[in-house]
Amino acid sequence: MKKQTIIAVLAATVAFAGQASAADMVFTSWGGTTQDAQKQHWADTFSTEGGVNVTQDGPTDYGKLKAMVESKNVAWDVVDVEGDYAVQAGNAGLLEKLDFSVIDKTKLDPRFVTDYSVGSFYYSFVIGCNKDAVDACPKSWADLFDLAKFPGKRTFYKWSAPGVIEAALLADGVAADKLYPLDLDRAFKKLDTIKSEIVWWDSGAQSQQLLASAEAPFGSFWNGRLTALAQTGVTVETSWTNNITAADALVVPKGTKNKEAAMKFIANATSDKAQAEFATMTGYAPINTGSPKLMDEDLRKTLPDQKAETQVNADMSYWAAHRDEIGTRWYAWQAK
Amino acid sequence: MVLSATTDGGERKIRRNGSFGYVVPALLLIAFFFIIPVLMLLMRSVLEPTPGLQNYRELLGSTTYLRVFLNTFTVAGLVTVVAVVIGFPVAWLLAIMPDKWSRLVMAIIVLSMWTNLLARTYAWMVLLQRTGVVNKMLINLGIIDKPLALVNNLVGVTIGMTYIMLPFVILPLIGILKSIDPAILRAAALCGANKRQCFTRVLLPLSLPGIASGALMVFVMSLGYYVTPALLGGTSNMMLAELVAQFVQSLVNWGMGGAAALVLLLVTMVLYAIQLKFLNPNRAR
Repeated sequence: MKKQTIIAVLAATVAFAGQASAADMVFTSWGGTTQDAQKQHWADTFSTEGGVNVTQDGPTDYGKLKAMVESKNVAWDVVDVEGDYAVQAGNAGLLEKLDFSVIDKTKLDPRFVTDYSVGSFYYSFVIGCNKDAVDACPKSWADLFDLAKFPGKRTFYKWSAPGVIEAALLADGVAADKLYPLDLDRAFKKLDTIKSEIVWWDSGAQSQQLLASAEAPFGSFWNGRLTALAQTGVTVETSWTNNITAADALVVPKGTKNKEAAMKFIANATSDKAQAEFATMTGYAPINTGSPKLMDEDLRKTLPDQKAETQVNADMSYWAAHRDEIGTRWYAWQAK
Repeated sequence: MVLSATTDGGERKIRRNGSFGYVVPALLLIAFFFIIPVLMLLMRSVLEPTPGLQNYRELLGSTTYLRVFLNTFTVAGLVTVVAVVIGFPVAWLLAIMPDKWSRLVMAIIVLSMWTNLLARTYAWMVLLQRTGVVNKMLINLGIIDKPLALVNNLVGVTIGMTYIMLPFVILPLIGILKSIDPAILRAAALCGANKRQCFTRVLLPLSLPGIASGALMVFVMSLGYYVTPALLGGTSNMMLAELVAQFVQSLVNWGMGGAAALVLLLVTMVLYAIQLKFLNPNRAR
């Protein structure tokens, strides 16, 4: 009798859980001010329009994503990942092919569209500086790598990803159009010259904290985080010289139970309106070509896609092909 | 053993069975959520990307990874030493204080253990950074004129982890110190021992089992620490747990991650075995 009761309760719980998850889907991103904007302009609008309840999770974790797909127990329906990872994971069979009959790709920037992913937003690594904390701000990557001219701590993105290696090569005098294939020996040699003065940031929030407290008064940042920081009253100077662009991507892990909802979510998130609103709030550029005309003219000028003059595009397919090799070397170098 | 002399065999059997039954849920929980997943991870270390021991060869053959091992032991050792040196006087004070006061101090120590680890670590970050409270105070007092590098390095990790580990030294020590008869110290003093001798020749040897078990516990716990070193240390002080996380999360190389995890687990188990063999608390008393 007792046993039967327990089984009945268990069954009811499972059924209930199953029911709940059918009407829900989970969106996973990197947290902080960026995910707040994604929630507000992509998820909440979708929840009200589509009748699907979108739950937020995070931060994105490639190990977890792989574990979910392999164990066929996928809890994330749409995930915001780095562009190079999206290409690699697609090739590795970890992702669902996107349904372009639901997602309208004709208006999406083709640089950020693959069979398995579409751009989420597009950002630049720029040079940020806390103007109140120092006499002069570095204007170029060469300045940021110059300890004599700019002594003190500087901060860079901790994880192996497009951005820092490119910055080191540019600082060392490599021409912007000659970056690829990356000369890793040269990059690490250049990085060695400032290694003792590098403080690494591992999340956008931490980068903001380091700059605001002047723990590291300058460094390389995601442009949107500087926009957000400036709005809180910190005197931030941004140099766009040779800003290095990369894009995040939206992907659907293979084996999701809510594939249909996931595709609709992506369609909504990449729509001109959602992209425009997200860009307005975060300072990241939209990947929908219809978005710019929906945005405020002055604000448009501050976005990465308007800083094209000396811009460098990180080569996502190069990174996808060499991600493991660079990563292994990167972390070994960091630990030295 | 004492039990068997006073009760008959049958009763003992029932008691054992009865108590074992109650342990089953806990054992199942550990088996399901700890032992099986660990075994699965270990399997990967010899199966991915191809069957063989190449992951272990790479891990133990590379100077980079050996450095990480060395870092791990250095940090754990440093934290242990500092925690014992700071913890011993506190434990001694708690042992000899009037109960009313010792309860209050104990509450403060235990309360810190209940506070969220991440919050405590972030607090240290704010205190220790170049523009933080500690540096500002020292500069304003004229003790230093340039901020000290107290965070993102070995100093930061040691401070943060020692603080977290302190209760694990203090709590076992109090018990041992309380069990030392004050009369022994009085006797030593009466026999002409000075304060120093009383400490090094009487109190210290008697409290050694407590120090040893506390120290070993701190050392073993420190070996696997992740959050505090990741936040307060620099990349050149990387510890093993961080290396495992990097392999698993960022490089998505689970073979190497599993291998690093197994090495960490083995070291921990060996140390634990030593603790069980030589530092049995029942024997110490």
